[in-house]
Order: sequence, then C-alpha cells, then structure tokens
Amino acid sequence: MVSRAPLDGAVPVASPAFPTRTHSHEAKGDPVLNRKTIARAMGALTVLGTMLAATPAGASAEAVLHGKCTACHVEQDGVFSRISNQRKTPEGWLMSVARMQVMHGLKITDEERRSVVKYLADTQGLAPSETAGFRYALERRLNTPESFESEQFAQMCARCHSGARVRLQRRAPEDWQRLVHFHLGQFATTEYQMWGRDRDWFTVALDEVAPGLARSQPLDTEAWKAWRASTPPAVDGQWTVSGQMPGRGGFSGVMTVSTLAGKDRHAVSFEGAWDDGSALKGQGQAVVYTGYEWRADLQLDGTPMRQVLAVEPGLMRGRMFQRDHDEVGADIVASRQQAGNSRVLSVYPAYLKVGQEAELRIVGTELAGDVRLAEGIELLGVARRSATEVVVRVRAGASARGVAPVTVGQASGGALAVFERIDAVRVVPEFAVARIGGNGTPTAKVEGRFDAEAWAAGADGQIGTADDYRIGVFPARWSVAPFDEQAERDKDVQFAGVMDADSGVFVPGGAGPNPARRMMTNNAGNLKVLAEVGQGAEVVRGEGHLIVTVPRWNNPPIP
Amino acid sequence: MTHTTFPGAVRTVAALAALGAGTILPAQAANESRPLQAGTEYMVVVNHPNNLNVLDLKDNSVFKTCALPGAFGPGMVQIAPDRKTAYILNNRFGTIYGVRLDDCQVHFQAELSPAPEVRAKSIFSFALSVDGKEAYAVYNPTTLHKDHYEVGEPRLVVYDTAAGVDARPIRSFPAPRQVTMLQGAADGSLYMVGANIFKVDVHTGKRELALPIRDWQRPSYAPVDVLSVWPVQTPTRDFTLLYTTARFTDDKQDPATAEYLYGYLNVNLESGQTEARDFGPLTEIYFTGARSPKDPNIMFGLLHRLAKYDVRQQKLIGAAELEHTYYAVIPSTSGDRMYLTGTFNDVAIYDADTLAKLGNIELPGGDMSLGTAQVFIR
Repeated sequence: MVSRAPLDGAVPVASPAFPTRTHSHEAKGDPVLNRKTIARAMGALTVLGTMLAATPAGASAEAVLHGKCTACHVEQDGVFSRISNQRKTPEGWLMSVARMQVMHGLKITDEERRSVVKYLADTQGLAPSETAGFRYALERRLNTPESFESEQFAQMCARCHSGARVRLQRRAPEDWQRLVHFHLGQFATTEYQMWGRDRDWFTVALDEVAPGLARSQPLDTEAWKAWRASTPPAVDGQWTVSGQMPGRGGFSGVMTVSTLAGKDRHAVSFEGAWDDGSALKGQGQAVVYTGYEWRADLQLDGTPMRQVLAVEPGLMRGRMFQRDHDEVGADIVASRQQAGNSRVLSVYPAYLKVGQEAELRIVGTELAGDVRLAEGIELLGVARRSATEVVVRVRAGASARGVAPVTVGQASGGALAVFERIDAVRVVPEFAVARIGGNGTPTAKVEGRFDAEAWAAGADGQIGTADDYRIGVFPARWSVAPFDEQAERDKDVQFAGVMDADSGVFVPGGAGPNPARRMMTNNAGNLKVLAEVGQGAEVVRGEGHLIVTVPRWNNPPIP
Repeated sequence: MTHTTFPGAVRTVAALAALGAGTILPAQAANESRPLQAGTEYMVVVNHPNNLNVLDLKDNSVFKTCALPGAFGPGMVQIAPDRKTAYILNNRFGTIYGVRLDDCQVHFQAELSPAPEVRAKSIFSFALSVDGKEAYAVYNPTTLHKDHYEVGEPRLVVYDTAAGVDARPIRSFPAPRQVTMLQGAADGSLYMVGANIFKVDVHTGKRELALPIRDWQRPSYAPVDVLSVWPVQTPTRDFTLLYTTARFTDDKQDPATAEYLYGYLNVNLESGQTEARDFGPLTEIYFTGARSPKDPNIMFGLLHRLAKYDVRQQKLIGAAELEHTYYAVIPSTSGDRMYLTGTFNDVAIYDADTLAKLGNIELPGGDMSLGTAQVFIR
C-alpha cells in the first residue's frame, strides 16, 4: 500500500529527501495558467456546489444539451461527443459544466445548469456500488488519508487532486486518453513536477494509466445497468436522524421529507435536540440525484448546512456540514419510519461506568418489544417509550464490562460500552490539517476539530492489544505543543492559532506573511494536539498531530 | 511536516502578490529613456505587475523601470551579448520580447503559438546564440479542438533577433518533452536541459547527449532529481544546475540508511567541458546554486539560507540566515557579491567571502516570482 498525506494535506512535491521544511511554500500550482482565472473558476465552482439542491429544475436538460452543448460537442442519434462517453457523480457533472462556463464561454442560466447536471447525473451517473469507498470526497471529509494499491496511480493522478476524484468517474477508453491530453494541455507543468519529471510522463499517462483506467473504470458496467433497471428507494415521510459532530457532540431528531413539484425535489424539515438537551431545528430543500444521491440545503438554527447522503431502502447515511465551513460537520445516519424498518440508531449516553445508575435513551425506528442489554446491566425500569425512542433506567454491573449490542425487539444497530477505568485516550482525528485564512485574503480559515476518545484495556489489562475496546467520546482539556524542534524554534504554538481548551476546536491564524515571524513566514505550524481526560485525581493523556498550513486556493466540490 | 516545493513557490508568490496588491505599481515612465552607462554593472529583473527594472549595482539603486507589454509571467531575462537588449520570456510563458534597455522600446517580439488554435508555452526554455543573432525556444503545443485538447510534440524554434515585432521561426525542429532550460555555447551549439542535458546543432536539430540525468546510472546511487528553471548567464560562462540524490550504504539500497547528497551538473559554455559531481550533504533545500566566478571550488546554494560549500571537501563552510526566502542566487561579475532574487520585491546583496549582508534594493511594484534576473557590465 502506498500511504499518502490526507486529501487536505501538504504532499511533498520536490526532492527525494526532506530533512528540512519551511512554512511558507507548499501546495501545488501551475505557473502557466492565469492564476486569477483559475481561482475565480474554482471559487465559482464552490458557490455552484452549494447550489446543487436549491431551486426547481424547470428548464429542459435536453433543450440545453441540443441547444447549447452542441456548439462544441457533436451530436449524432442522441450521442454527444465526449459527454456520452462519461459517467460521474452530481458533483462531477457540476464541475464539468461549470468548467465549460468558466473556461470555455458556455452561457447558461443557473436553472439550466442545475437541470443539465440533474439530467446527466440521472442518466450517466454512478451506481451506489461504484461510489463505495470514495464517498468521503463527496462528503467533504478533507482530512481523509488516501492510500492506493497502485503506486503509479498515486503518483500519476492522486498527487495533484484526490484519487477519489478519479475513482468517481467512468469513461470510454478514448475518453480516458483525452483526459490525459486535457491535463497536460491545461496544466503544462504536470510533467515537470515531482513524480512527473522522473519519467516520460505523457507516454506513461497515455499508454499505461489511461488504458488501465479504461479497464478498471469502464463506461459500461453491470452495476450501472442493474441500478438503472431498479426502483429507487423512497425518501418521502419521516426519518429518525442521529448524528455526531466533533467539537460539539451528538444529536438526534426527526426529519420530515415531502415531495415538491419538479423531479426528485423535496421539502425537508428537521426538529431535534443535541444530546445536552439544547434544541436543533430548521428546514430546507433536497434533490435526489441518480435515484440515491441525496443533496439537501437546510438552515439549521440559522446556519446554512448541507447534507450529502446516500439513500438505501429505509436508510440514509453520510455527512451534514456547514455550507460555508465544511470542516464543521457531523456523521449522520437516518432511518425511515416505516413498517418493518426496525433499527436502533444511537444510544445516549454511549457508555456507563461500572456501578453507575443512569437513564439510557435509545433512538431509532419501529422500536417495539423488549429492550435487551448486555448481561450485567440491570434494567431498573422503563421511563417512557415510543416507536422512535425508548428511555430506560439501568445500572451497570462489573460483569458488563465491554461493548455490547443494544436491541429493542427486532431493532438492532445500537451499542453500549461499560468501563471500569479509562486506560488510554486517543485524539480523533489522529492527524488533521487546519488552514490559515482571512486577514484580508479571500479564503476563510479552516479549523481543526478534535474529539477525545477513551479506550479501555479489556480483560488482559494491557492497552494496545486486540481486546481493547472503545468507550466513547469524553470531555477533555485541550492544548497544543510544538511537534518537533523546528516547530519549537519557530514558535509555531504562538503563531499558528488557538486551541479552545474546552471544545477541542483549533482556530488557525491569519493568512499572509507575518513580519513578526522568523523569515517573515506565514502562520503555518506543526503541532501536537494534546487531550487530557480527568479520571478522579488522575489524568489520562492522548496525542494527535495537527498541520496548520496554507489556504486551499482551488476548492472545487470534489477535492 | 510541510515541505518546500518548486510549484508551491508559485502559489506563495501568487498569494504574496495578492496581499501586496495595494503596493503594486506599474512602471513609471519618467526614467524610461535614461540610457545605460558604459562600464557600469547592472542587474535586469522583472517584477509584478509587469516591470522590467534595471538596477545600478554601483550604488545599489533602481536605475530605471520599463513597462512590459502583455501579461506577467515568468519574466525570465536573457541579456544580449552587446548588453543593449534584454530578451524576456513573458506573457504567461507564451511570448518572447526584446527590449532595448536604453529607451525601453520593444524591438523584437515572437509569439510562440504557431496558429490561433494552438496554445504554446515555453517552460523557461529560451536562450540566445552566443553572437546574439538568434534566439531559441522550446515550446510545448496543445491544439484546442472544439471538444478536446490534443497535446503535440514540442518544437525547438529559431528566431532571427533582427526580425522585428512579428518574428516568425526561421528554423524549427522536433524537441523532446520536459525541457526546462536552454543556453547557447561559444561553438554555436545549444545546450538543452530536459530528461538529460543535450547538445543540439541549431542548424539540423540533431541532439547528442552532453550529460545524463535520467539516464545517469551510478551503482549504489538513487536516480538524481533535477528541477532547474533559472538559466543564469554567469561571467565565467559557467552553466550550473543542482541535483539531489542518495548514496546507498548497503546492498539492500535501504533509503533509511542512505546518505543524501547535493551535486551539480555543469557545462562550460566556452569550452564545452562538462562535469557532474556531488558537492555536499543534503541537509536543506536549495532552488538554485552557483559556482563562485573567483573560485570554482566554492559552490553556493540558496532558498531559506545562502549556503556555501567547499566542493573538494564536500563540506558546508558557511551559511547566512535570510530575512525571507529567495529563489535565485546570481554572482556579481567580479564574484565578490552574491545577489539574491525572487519571492518578494527586494534584491538582497551578500558578500561572497564573508556572507555578510551588504544591503537590499527595493523594486517598485510587487514580487519577482520565478523569473531569472541577469547581472552584466554595459
């Protein structure tokens, strides 16, 4: 396996060895392109990306394809040159159409663009199985470290953009080759950069990489044929939703989905509460692309939020994040309230200490029947119950140590951890990237957000062994420290940003050269993230790694 | 860890340019007609928004500033042998301009694109013949078809520098991909840096290997890595570029125990002699290196520090901490001073012997980006 930096990370692009580092010069670029144009284009894409779910698709996509796209793309018997040779995600089609607008003079209205993106995603999309393993890119999980079996793929494709961007496409063989021509024609320094100049890049790309992609990601697949022939899962109705947001906590509630005029458009409302009891509510709209790609824009307590979810029968999974700060987001799972769709989504609290007596709230759908917990957890009584929530009083006995399923009748999916003591704390994510921003520049700061995850050693009393178990997220005291001597010497802790001691939210410093720093460097930094979880008089410590680096100037919907 | 990268520098420069927008000034016309003085040492350097600056190195001042036509980038300068004309690869790597330094007039202009539907970019690959009568460029063409791009074979094009402002190639030959630099030699041949360093006959386009890079096989060494885009015309006609490599210490070629090294590839443009050798341990990154015009055993490296090596001893013998990063180190004609260019809008001056800082020359306008400056005596 070839390990890489996270999607959002600073990938080394220069020489074979890097005993040194600097703060001021990383990221990749292309001197040949007009940087302002590209920045504008990518900025436009970001804005467009937030509009996938907005207004009705009234304009006819076919009319746009025949009336506008044929200015450059040859149409014969309903087959369009280039266009008909590709399948991709809604975001993938959005990036292509928007590029035609920004780079190639296509003039269409926002409504026409939404219409044509919807049409192409529906008719030339990806089957659910074809997006499996790469949804992190659509869900804007920019801290995801990618790794690929093929070193060649990592070096030829995934050094400039995410590998997921490639994996989320299907093309005809000649179109993969044309994609190579496009890359070198548009980004002329591709063949000069590290992992480009050590080989005959163009020949390798044309003769090895493109044919390989044509084999592994062909235009025509059984999966797509089968998906197109199937009936898409229903989305209207009420959904029980559960989520977990690093730096804030868990929440649950009910999402109501009702059909609007226009294909696959829905009104969405959400009413729920954070696990600490504070309310969380709002409403918005959703569009379902390709029969399962749920994209919703909501205002939740006044904050614009996006949902990127995959719909399965009775189930939706994915991520909800702030539209304008996509690093602030929650993993969410939703279960449709329908007969026979029994499911436990979450249990709050998710852990109990041995001897603790507590109210346990079980959230899900079709919660009928007996509540079953681990042996050793005494069920003291049922406080209240409905089809979507069961609240019981329990006491955790010593014999219940470990993690055991929580079921209600036929409904499964929940778990409860019981622990005697915390033996280790892990900082999650273990490795993260924050980005300086603001300070008069057009790019916002990207925060780092961390959870402290407590672990128990298991029966053997040894941490780091197979029987360790995760207890759950604990409140912690947060701080940062220099990662190494260089970071200490450059005073990264002083300049790179501020860690909130209570929430684990790191807000990076302003962008641009800082005259107060050595060599006028910017506020980048290399930091340890330290979490301290109290346990009586004792403190259990965890450590993560945070890179604070330069802004992402190009920020398209798929990184 | 964050790492310095060549392409990253472009981004930094872009960001700095944006930040400094309030201070970026177009060239002032007031001094454009000021003639250069014979015997005086000058530097020519391009900076944002699109200024061609002539610096007087006698009193370390801006002597004059010419406004360049077209768009910025990369602002790479080559000085004609008569020291009267600066040729600049600019306009987003697509146009070569010849600017008369005495009056700032553009008297030569060559658009690299051979046809309206062809986008042609020269990746820093531009040079002059030793007599100044011809200009050479390698461009990478892309034909922009209606619904697809088609990358074409790079071309070596030859221009007559007397051809005026609508210069067309007088000869043209196929060229390899991945060429980054050209330099004309005293024997009339052209050295071309790409996957290897080639010596090219400019009348036939025929290439022969001058120094291997990708094809340099050294047992127990990792392949060398070269990325050099600063063709500095040194007073000694010494054309030097840096490489990095690793020397393995065991048969398993374990990178963990390898010794990481800097070396240089050198072509003596007067004699045609070539040389490739390691000169020191790789402990920090340099964008450029230069050999001392006074003593070829002394090698300088520059990015975050200005470092100095004894080549024979393969040893770092001094280093100056800098106020910020600079990309290109250029020796004075005498070799007594080193000029540091690139990054921001100031040229730093260092004593080549003591590495003491001697001063700065602040340019009107923004950053110098990646463009190569040149030092010469009129």
